[in-house]
Amino acid sequence: MRRYGPAALLLLTGGAVLRITLFGDLYLRYVQAGLRPYLIVSGVALVLLGLVTAVLRHRTPGPHEDVHHGDVHHGDDEGHEGHSHGPAGPRVAWLLTLPALALLLFPPPALGSYSAGREAAQRAAQGVGAFPALPAGNPVELTVAEFSSRAIYDSGRSLKGRTVRLTGFVTHGDDGTWYVTRLVVTCCAADATTGKVEIRDADDDVLPADTWVTVIGTWRPKGRLGSDAAWPPVLDAATVTRVKQPADPYENP
Amino acid sequence: MQNQRTVADGLRVVVRASVYAVLGGAALIAIATVVSVLGPLLALDLYTPPVAAWWTVFTAVAVQGVPFLLLGTVVSAAIGAFVPERVFRRFLPHNPALAVPVAGLAGAVLPGCECASVPVAGSLMRRGVAPAAALAFLLSAPAINPVVLVATSIAFPGQPKMVLARLLASLGTAVLMGWLWARFGKEKWLRLPGRGTPSAHATGARAFLTGLQHDFLHAGGFLVLGAAAAATFNIAVPRSVLDLFTGSPWLAVPLLAVLAVVLCVCSEADAFVAASLSAFPPTARLAFMVVGPMVDLKLLALQAGTFGRSFAVRYASATWVVAVAASVLVGWWLL
Repeated sequence: MRRYGPAALLLLTGGAVLRITLFGDLYLRYVQAGLRPYLIVSGVALVLLGLVTAVLRHRTPGPHEDVHHGDVHHGDDEGHEGHSHGPAGPRVAWLLTLPALALLLFPPPALGSYSAGREAAQRAAQGVGAFPALPAGNPVELTVAEFSSRAIYDSGRSLKGRTVRLTGFVTHGDDGTWYVTRLVVTCCAADATTGKVEIRDADDDVLPADTWVTVIGTWRPKGRLGSDAAWPPVLDAATVTRVKQPADPYENP
Repeated sequence: MQNQRTVADGLRVVVRASVYAVLGGAALIAIATVVSVLGPLLALDLYTPPVAAWWTVFTAVAVQGVPFLLLGTVVSAAIGAFVPERVFRRFLPHNPALAVPVAGLAGAVLPGCECASVPVAGSLMRRGVAPAAALAFLLSAPAINPVVLVATSIAFPGQPKMVLARLLASLGTAVLMGWLWARFGKEKWLRLPGRGTPSAHATGARAFLTGLQHDFLHAGGFLVLGAAAAATFNIAVPRSVLDLFTGSPWLAVPLLAVLAVVLCVCSEADAFVAASLSAFPPTARLAFMVVGPMVDLKLLALQAGTFGRSFAVRYASATWVVAVAASVLVGWWLL
């Protein structure tokens, strides 16, 4: 293990990165879609580097391999945390096994209602103004974020008289209200912000939090444009359908 | 004589191996038993939503850092293995006071986030670049490169002054910190990287591979450490706490500057987060974007690993103060 430790770590890390990018869409739970090519290149590079390292170690035992004075020549290194490496490589590097094994064995789930509930939902900062026209056809597919900004800031009232379709997960308010919620991720899940739309619908059955739904309905105007009263926007739902969690659980700004 | 020694050595190895095997095997069996009995019970109890969210944010920060860290270590290993010292001597002015701004501006050419710049700065020092200049580069590279500036202009549409303010405040902080180091810095705080590492003196393809392997693993370990800290704060501190402080600019600026440290948002994404903090005054959001790429928990872990803990703590706290001051000045002038 001392000899092949670094090679094993590189292979493990590269393998974990490739598992979530090349073999499936799991990476979308953690980072935005645009990062995929870079992740694949990194994963391949790490696996190759691991193989080359293993071959080099195999071919040359090298002077470091002598067990008897393993770390003596690093005498000037004291206090260098995690740097007590002879042939086994930097010790701190073993921390890489945590995320790598998590990704390989139990990929953590996408963020959901817990994260959405912890922070006040944010609305993008923008001024009131006219938005570009919506595409033709009803119902029109919109992201939760797009619906919210049009509902709150569009002086052209482009949502008026349109049927829209939103997809997100269920979260609950204090007084029996419920929302279709979607997290917006710019780069990785650490920067997630929340967008939500209040749903008014006819039937009474309460969907549990984190259920993914597609809602078709019409916008109900409320409050003055751009004011706090206009927020969160409201949708009168005609139909609410349970759906599978989409491949990309987040929206991009 | 020779034979006796070999026999003795051989015996010692055999004994040692069997001791390891017995002890290790017993420990493994014990661990396996405990885990298989308690594991499923514990896992169900412990895998609550906050824990799941912690793991998600933790892996997200680590996964996102991998490509940039690899880019940074490839550049740093290439500098170490292929670029001779005289190249830097020719391009950088001899006087550190002049070399600092040049290095600060050179930061604009490395398109990456903060994970990439730490190993590069380390290998620059290893190649004989004055620490003050390398440290100015370390701070400016993640903050003023074209990718970050374009992201800022997208996040703040119609506010080109925000991009300019970010450029000026970040560059100002980087150069000032370089000068401060040149004037007051002590060599003993800074453990120059690379002593005793395999890549320190060798050159060529073999040295490139060894350096790359070593630097990536070393920095990767600290990236994981930083990711754990970031995830912990992300889960422990609800962002709604911030809304209490939006009113007063005197509180808002330091508050967002602290938030930038604990959130560890990648410098290519922090403009979007800053834009979403719409309740805060523009100067506070500028401070968030100036501090974030220069001081955060993930970066602190990386710096402590590369340059030593006593350096990282001193340098990061000084940088935080200078960055906040620079943002306030530039914000007051431009925004």
